Amino acid sequence: MGSRRRWAALAVAPCVAGALAAGCGGSDDDRPASSAPDGGARAGFPVQVRDANGVVTVRRAPRRVVSLSPTATETLFAVGAAGQVVAVDEQSNYPKQAPRTDISPSQPNLEAIARYRPDVVVISDTSPPDLAGGLRKLGVTVLEEPSAQDLDDAYDQIRDLGTATGHTDQASDVVKRMRTKLNELFARAPSGAGLSVYHELGPELYAASSGTFIGGIYRRLGLDNVADKAARKSGTDYPQLSSEYVVSSDPDLIVFTDCCRQSAASVRTRAGWDAIEAVSDGGVTTVDADVASRWGPRLPQFVAAVVAGLERVER
Amino acid sequence: MSGGVTSRWWLGGAAALVVAVLAGLGVGPAGIAPGAIAGELLSRLPVVHAGRPLGRLDATVLWELRAPRVALGALVGAMLACAGGAYQAVFRNPLADPYLLGVAAGAGLGATAAIAYAGGGELLPLAAFAGATAAVTAAYLLGRSVGGRATATLILAGVAVAAFATAAQSFVLQQNADSVQSVYAWLLGRLSTSGWSDVLLVMPYVAVSLAVIVAHRRALDVLRVGDEEAASLGVPVARVRFAVVAAATLGTAAAVAVSGLIGFVGIVIPHAVRLLAGTSYRVVLPLAGLLGAAFLVLADVVARTALSPAELPIGVVTAFVGAPFFVVVLRTTRMAGP
Amino acid sequence: MIALENVSVRLSGASVVDGVSLTVPDRGWTTLIGANGAGKTSLLRAVAGLVAHTGSIALDGRESSRLRAPERGRMVAVVPQSPLLPADMTVTEYVLLGRTPHLGYLGRAGRRDMQAVDVAIGRLALRPLAPRRLDELSGGERQRAVLARAIAQEAPILLLDEPTTALDVGRQQEVLELVAELRAERGLVVLAAMHDLTLAGQYAESLVLLDAGRVAAEGPASEVLTEELIARHYRARVRVERIGETPVVLPAPREVAAR
Repeated sequence: MGSRRRWAALAVAPCVAGALAAGCGGSDDDRPASSAPDGGARAGFPVQVRDANGVVTVRRAPRRVVSLSPTATETLFAVGAAGQVVAVDEQSNYPKQAPRTDISPSQPNLEAIARYRPDVVVISDTSPPDLAGGLRKLGVTVLEEPSAQDLDDAYDQIRDLGTATGHTDQASDVVKRMRTKLNELFARAPSGAGLSVYHELGPELYAASSGTFIGGIYRRLGLDNVADKAARKSGTDYPQLSSEYVVSSDPDLIVFTDCCRQSAASVRTRAGWDAIEAVSDGGVTTVDADVASRWGPRLPQFVAAVVAGLERVER
Repeated sequence: MSGGVTSRWWLGGAAALVVAVLAGLGVGPAGIAPGAIAGELLSRLPVVHAGRPLGRLDATVLWELRAPRVALGALVGAMLACAGGAYQAVFRNPLADPYLLGVAAGAGLGATAAIAYAGGGELLPLAAFAGATAAVTAAYLLGRSVGGRATATLILAGVAVAAFATAAQSFVLQQNADSVQSVYAWLLGRLSTSGWSDVLLVMPYVAVSLAVIVAHRRALDVLRVGDEEAASLGVPVARVRFAVVAAATLGTAAAVAVSGLIGFVGIVIPHAVRLLAGTSYRVVLPLAGLLGAAFLVLADVVARTALSPAELPIGVVTAFVGAPFFVVVLRTTRMAGP
Repeated sequence: MIALENVSVRLSGASVVDGVSLTVPDRGWTTLIGANGAGKTSLLRAVAGLVAHTGSIALDGRESSRLRAPERGRMVAVVPQSPLLPADMTVTEYVLLGRTPHLGYLGRAGRRDMQAVDVAIGRLALRPLAPRRLDELSGGERQRAVLARAIAQEAPILLLDEPTTALDVGRQQEVLELVAELRAERGLVVLAAMHDLTLAGQYAESLVLLDAGRVAAEGPASEVLTEELIARHYRARVRVERIGETPVVLPAPREVAAR
């Protein structure tokens, strides 16, 4: 009789311990682990993923993820981790339902982040260097996912975020869909051979050369990049150009982002730029600034816009 | 008098300006051969049928990009140098520069506000100009209300206004951190223009301002013996001072509105001219205009080519040249007084 | 001629010149004397139009306060007590400044002006020094340069504020002799302020003794330079001797108190 009660107590103990552990990890407004939406959320942990820093171990399925990277935010929602994200930075404007706060990704306030009691925080290279260390001291698992170097890097990051949140399968699906769409776009695009492109990053005539992520895409389309010569001379992949240089390089395709009030019309008003043929015959393409600056699931949109611009030029 | 000496300097000044203009037209990252440029210039002369015009792109670079820069550089350089000399005369202070009464701080505040709240663009020169004139007016009114028409009061009022404007500017920048890069670029000065429109915008102000300053150069010479003695010699001191300060400020505000805050030109060039050609304002003011123009055009050439195709802010170039020059001035002579 | 009637000057709320009336006739030379703070300089500045005054100051019959600055500059030349001599100006340039009232607002110097400058430089024996900078001159030479500037102005009225202070005895005599000669040559009206009572008496036709802004005595030197007047208004002990007609004012010997 006593021993059965002892066994019962022993059986109950782990459940109680487990409940206590779950309770200690959070408080009253913790979401309980539900089945269908998170499908398999708790299975498979702990996992190891590689981020910019090396190998990171995620012990438990994250339940309170804070994202300080707009790209990571898009990725997290695409792989189905929406239920685990409790806060995203002020610039993560996609998808709309993301719980946006006014934490700045470049000047984040450690205490403001801590208020959300995250277990995992995703940062990119816009965050200050001491942020990761500060977060780790608070016991947070930090995933550093900086700007992707190339497409494979971008796919890896998506997969890593999926694995880290327990959505490995969904992440693979997302990557597969992206790959298919991109291959389709590249196949359908006219050859850029013999044409040159100028991709402007900002109002001070900073350009993306071939060594950059965006530059890689142009390269894949066969386009020359007018910024390459300048990049070689100045040793940076994002050289600053001058009007004279761009005008005399006569790029065939000019790509702007729609930040900073630039458009085909405003470009035409720049002194001397109307001498560039592309300016007057439709070679200027504006792309959504958010899509162009992120390397997440909406990447095919950017490539589609560029391909559309290229098609206009070829015509 | 010293007519012989000064006519030599007029020729020298004019020659320097011509050389600078040619360099400004001939040099740049687009790599157009000087011979080709000469051909283009010749082909533009009305009666002479010589030389071959450049291709469309190169011609655009020359006439739409380089020529307006050279023109603007000459106008702004002449304005800043002449205004600097005028301020040094009016305030009898060798350290006076055209930004003394809050022009720089006011223009900076206007430009910062325009960039932060309206994205810069068309509004920028207007806002900078408005800020500059507002600041100087505030300094003038403040100086008057505090009492005394002593120049020291006016300078102190200018310092107070400048401090306030700078604080306000820092606040705006802090609230709009993404504007910092654009504002910083503007603050350091640049001549990359929107083409001839900026030149045309600035030209009337600069022309009137320079004319007024140069016309008053003899009166400014008389002011060198002090307000009282100048008054006893029949100079309407307050009126001269007001006219010169107003003209210099207006011209400087216009220059700053389109080119940002280019430092050192206004203080170093007048001193250089004094070292070369004597201290009479009759000579110093016009010659400072010529040499200021030449200096800034050449500085712009350096700014364009040193890190080609990226551009060095021209304020950095003038500081690199100006600071050591200042040391030279201090060391070689007792400072040529105003 | 200069005619002052009930002229008062207030500075910083205090009355420094109080109801002064005096006349300097054509070709006359009047010297103001008085202790420090008696109002000599303020009175001179009022005549020069450099400070506000009440009462009437008539210069050759014209009311001074109604004259515009250039007009007044053509009538009155001032040799100030501490002239500001720009170090880098040459003597010629400095003397040329005296022509300013004749040049107009934005005018330039013509042949007539250069002539006047030349005459002034010659008259004051500055020709060898003409191209030199002002800071290369001695005290006496500088004073002559300032005087040359005043002469170049070709104004009928000459105001001198302590023209001999800081000069050695030889230069003092030189300057005053020059003024006397120029006055005779050009028919100038001279109004001066001086500390040195003997020299003042030697050169002026009339002395005006000021005390606390008021005229305490007026008249030829022999009448004004008396021991009691000086004792009263300078609060100083002096002895006035005579060398011929000329009164000579000497500080009285010290009286050491008997033990």
